[in-house]
Amino acid sequence: MPVFESLETSALAIWVGESLWGYPIMLGMHAIGLAIVVGIFVMLDLRMLRFIRGVSFNAFLSLFRLAWIGLVINALSGSALFTSQATTFVESAPFLIKISAVIVGVILGVLIQKRLKVRVADWDDSGTNIESSAKVLATLSLVCWIGAIFAGRLIAYL
Amino acid sequence: MTQSLVQAIEGGAINTWVLSTYWLWPLLEIIHFIGLSLLLGSMLVVDLRLAGFLRQINIVSTHRLLPWATIGFVMNLASGFLFFFGDPGRYAINIGFQLKMILVLIAGLNVLVFALKINPVIGQWDPHGDTPALAKTVAWVSLAAWTGVLLLGRLIPYIGTG
Repeated sequence: MPVFESLETSALAIWVGESLWGYPIMLGMHAIGLAIVVGIFVMLDLRMLRFIRGVSFNAFLSLFRLAWIGLVINALSGSALFTSQATTFVESAPFLIKISAVIVGVILGVLIQKRLKVRVADWDDSGTNIESSAKVLATLSLVCWIGAIFAGRLIAYL
Repeated sequence: MTQSLVQAIEGGAINTWVLSTYWLWPLLEIIHFIGLSLLLGSMLVVDLRLAGFLRQINIVSTHRLLPWATIGFVMNLASGFLFFFGDPGRYAINIGFQLKMILVLIAGLNVLVFALKINPVIGQWDPHGDTPALAKTVAWVSLAAWTGVLLLGRLIPYIGTG
């Protein structure tokens, strides 16, 4: 499609693809964003699924802000990396799977954040069990982030 | 020393296995990335609390996150070991890799300071209060070292390839 061809010849794409530091800078930022976003969501998911116990849910309300900053870092660096090989990426199955997993993961993150805001006092009360609908959200969230890493790594191979 | 280490590995059983198993390298990368998410995700929460933030978390309960940091580290040690054995000539002379290993060592010594100087007295602190200067120092050294490890690791193909 012409839109991807023109992206690939844009000034940003040329800088990312051909300058000495463009690609490594964007790749480095993408790794930092990944660690923040996936790291925080995986910890929260494991906490909701009770693989981690005792750590206050209340704290995760503040951590969400950091997770969303990580997401913005990765949306920006990811877009820059995308432009440099736009026509290749749009036809790559692992890339499309990765983007789908990230989008679903983000939607689940928003749902989990909303649920946590409402339920935080109950969940932090050790007597209460987390409802199974919330556990389903946490499980799907884990699957999405692990899936995004899986597919993301395979972009270079398939 | 580097040269003889590389020579000792090349052609050996592990080296041959890694090189001849076409699906192994991408699988190791996936394991390495999941491991880094576990390690850095858990360290981020622990270090932020040790630095005095996230006071809603009882500081003693951050112990519950440490097994996940260990799992992540072991996943990355094992997969990283196989990367090195698969392509020793490339890693051994790579400045990015060498600096990364130095930072892993610094992070390890930092954990030792935590275990010896902080862990034994952490129960005496206000569980939801501010933290002493040493704890803050350990937290920021940890965050800086692991961020450096992450960046240098990702950029190994691009810097200091000699």
